[in-house]
Amino acid sequence: MDLINRYAHEVGQYLPHRLRADVEAELRSLLTDSVEEKALLGGVPAGDELAAKVLREFGTPKDVAARYAPEPQYLIGPRLYPAYVTSVKVMLPILAAIFLALVAAGRFRHAGEPPSVAPFFRATGSFLWSALENLGIMTLVFALVERAIRHREAAGKTWDPSALPPVNDPDRISYFGRIFALYVIAALALLFNFFPDWVAVYVFRNSDASVYPLLTPGFARYMPLINAWWVLAFVLNLAVLREGRRTRPTRWAEFGLEVFSAVILLLVVIGPPVFRYDVLIKIVLQWFLVFSAIKACVLLYRLLRRRPVEPWARP
Amino acid sequence: MVIGGTQQTPRDNLSLELRRGALVLAVLVELRHEEYGYSLKKLLSDKGLEIDEGTLYPLLRRLESQGMLKSAWRVEDGRPRRYYQASVQGEKLAKELAAEWRALAGVIGKLIG
Repeated sequence: MDLINRYAHEVGQYLPHRLRADVEAELRSLLTDSVEEKALLGGVPAGDELAAKVLREFGTPKDVAARYAPEPQYLIGPRLYPAYVTSVKVMLPILAAIFLALVAAGRFRHAGEPPSVAPFFRATGSFLWSALENLGIMTLVFALVERAIRHREAAGKTWDPSALPPVNDPDRISYFGRIFALYVIAALALLFNFFPDWVAVYVFRNSDASVYPLLTPGFARYMPLINAWWVLAFVLNLAVLREGRRTRPTRWAEFGLEVFSAVILLLVVIGPPVFRYDVLIKIVLQWFLVFSAIKACVLLYRLLRRRPVEPWARP
Repeated sequence: MVIGGTQQTPRDNLSLELRRGALVLAVLVELRHEEYGYSLKKLLSDKGLEIDEGTLYPLLRRLESQGMLKSAWRVEDGRPRRYYQASVQGEKLAKELAAEWRALAGVIGKLIG
């Protein structure tokens, strides 16, 4: 029966590849049995008309496939969805503000030139592209976190009420903050590795846009260290998200990572010129270095003054 | 008694929820002997338990993936069919669920009066 073949095939399209052939074969067999039985009982031919009646009762291919699916089939589940929406709502206005600031800076710098709408349209186009790219990165990051959390929950740890954290739990994490950090790391890693020329000062004139890259080729010598930092930071954030809270090991890892970032900043600051406006940028980096060193000290202080095992910590 | 199918009203949903738990027990008990999907549906139907096919067949796959059923393809009457049977683990679960069912039925029976 052609209709049953088409139906089984359609159900298969909604299923993971490894299940598809098996479920399709079983559905063909079961539905043919059903149609033949009904034909025998009703004294009617086992044709497509009867098959259509059986299939209508069986349900739409999408509904049937959902019942066969071994695990939830969504990229971002209900727990992370609110954080995803918040992240998008934060990211889009920030991008828009950056692009508006760039256009405004171009108008201010070239105030004497005749007015033109061309820079505005160019900036709008760039903004839309950039928004789509960032939306893609953010969706991928959230999907990755969703999978990590789901796999951990599937492992099925026994729930212990005595492990409930206190109301003012210093180890509680913000899902939004952690995932947004993952997105920023992924976006920066892509930018610095594949589009280093885009790390630049942009000046929009009426006729065209001028781009002044900030990084000189010499900056590449730091990229292995910076990439290592990004990988470690990404893994650490993912690990904290999987746990659902900070633990003593992840706090030590945070301290180690902060020391590492201070070391990288120190190497860049004392190293040879690698930026277009080297003196200016290194003054900013020196402030980052001071901030990073202070943060490392604070993290270490908190680690040392806390009890080694909190009463509510998981065994 | 019908299990599965399109449910719309809150009353239907609650009724479906009440019956759904019994379905696993019924399937495990009937699959002490090997059956294929449609023959199992008929068997249950003959005993008064009408199950929507779209509910029964995915349930068989789920129970198999949980190790409660074992299955094998065989060609019969010129058609390949997948036969299911309760595994040792499935039979053990059926006994435990049956005991729970009897206890629950007794309690609910007393409550209803």
